[in-house]
Amino acid sequence: MDQDRSARVWAAIKAVADGEGASLSLRHAVMACAQVLSAMGAGLSMTTRDGEILEPLLATDPGVGELDELQFSLGEGPSGEAIALGAPVLETNLAGIAAGHRWPAFASAGVERGVRGTFAFPVGAGAAKLGVLSVYRRQAGPLDADQVKDALVLADAVFVLALDHRHGLSADLDGVIEAAFTARRAEVHQAAGRIAAQQRIGVTDALALLRAHAYSSGLALHRIATEVMAGRLRLESDHDGASVRGDGHIVPPPTDQGATGPAGTSGPKEIGSPHSDTEQEED
Amino acid sequence: MSASDRRVREVFIELSDTLVDDFDIIEFLDRLAVRCSELLGVSACGIVLVDHHGALNLVAASTEQARLVELTQLQNLEGPCLDAFTTGRPVQHADLRDAAARWPRFAAAAVEAGYLAVQGIPMRLRDTVLGAVNLLSEVAEPLSDDTIALGQALADAATIGIVHQRAVARQEIVTEQLQAALNSRILIEQAKGFLTHSLGVDVDEAFAILRAYARANNRRMTDVAEDVVQGRITRLGSESASNTPPA
Repeated sequence: MDQDRSARVWAAIKAVADGEGASLSLRHAVMACAQVLSAMGAGLSMTTRDGEILEPLLATDPGVGELDELQFSLGEGPSGEAIALGAPVLETNLAGIAAGHRWPAFASAGVERGVRGTFAFPVGAGAAKLGVLSVYRRQAGPLDADQVKDALVLADAVFVLALDHRHGLSADLDGVIEAAFTARRAEVHQAAGRIAAQQRIGVTDALALLRAHAYSSGLALHRIATEVMAGRLRLESDHDGASVRGDGHIVPPPTDQGATGPAGTSGPKEIGSPHSDTEQEED
Repeated sequence: MSASDRRVREVFIELSDTLVDDFDIIEFLDRLAVRCSELLGVSACGIVLVDHHGALNLVAASTEQARLVELTQLQNLEGPCLDAFTTGRPVQHADLRDAAARWPRFAAAAVEAGYLAVQGIPMRLRDTVLGAVNLLSEVAEPLSDDTIALGQALADAATIGIVHQRAVARQEIVTEQLQAALNSRILIEQAKGFLTHSLGVDVDEAFAILRAYARANNRRMTDVAEDVVQGRITRLGSESASNTPPA
């Protein structure tokens, strides 16, 4: 595994923060992204809670903020597509025919402002869709392979910072980075899904619960995930997604089960034969 | 060759039929893993893809046991998949009982699971290696050259699936598709975890239920997974495909 790249990316973010004499924040990660990719600017748009709508949150300068606003107000552009795909959208030339065809209004508005290369990196993992990192360059042409990998690692960094930010979590930088390193393991995502079902919350909130527990217990994220999956640990949400109860005690399920879907608000479908009338509790 | 020409032809037709516009990469790779072990006459098959951290991620395995053995490779950073990926060349070991020096942890885990021979095949696209296909066999003997060549053709089919049918894919498209495949896998893991609670099943049953539901309803597994974790589907028990609808 290429830990050097992660270390280098986090060092770049920290250097931006140190340059301001400030403690590391989301904004520094977005600024580092623009630097690393030799871009005119970068911006971060966030979804509404587990929703589809992207609202611009911050940008390296007002001009870039306008470009994100344009994507938002026009309802077209690479950022929305990146969210839908769960993968980056890398448009090498906004002035090209393909881009004009794909996003007629946004492409012409962007070209007018001197933008050519336009890149969008989803900030999230699986069903946890937090937002999009957008990158704008004056020159046309692709990012090189190294820059793409840096951008993807930066988007991962933004993901954990945004997750912690949204849920009011704080930890020292080493803690944040450690939790970022193990966040991609399969068992962490299985545990997030399990907690989402147990607590009737979104996967994003479930991931935040896992991270909060990692910070408070000092245990590695994937160890906590293993405990959750084995039914030996149950993390409790207080609906702010911040408080955690994890004493190894299996908490009995709430009594009003079966009324609504686990995380959905609009009438869940019931398909196939009923497995049972209430959710089965593990073990 | 261990498979009839007719069967080989059928499998390639089946795989290319899967490559429609809106195809599901996880379903495709899962099917490919099963077909690989069938056609090549091996016991099991696993498929790994590289992410932007340079780490290999297991995206498909033909059996649960193969999945565990593959994870041993990835967690210990040793084994034929890693070697095939790193070198971009096929890697073979015909008797894992004497592979303790080469891959101490992987060899021990594989032998304990009953696998004695192994073959790693790189998934290459021009000068880029995207991942590897791993073949596990219970018989301690090398695969024939013909079998390896067919294995390489199947690995190439997997690569084509990931770059989405585009023969001359630009690097940007490869990156987009590879990331989409890895993200789909994460979504599947989240849905599996969700179902372990809501259906009271283990993670492997959860995967089988997801797959059966997607096939029975002609939907992409990733779309079903998304609906599951968003609470839009609350019942998809293992018997749901054949039984009567809920009262």
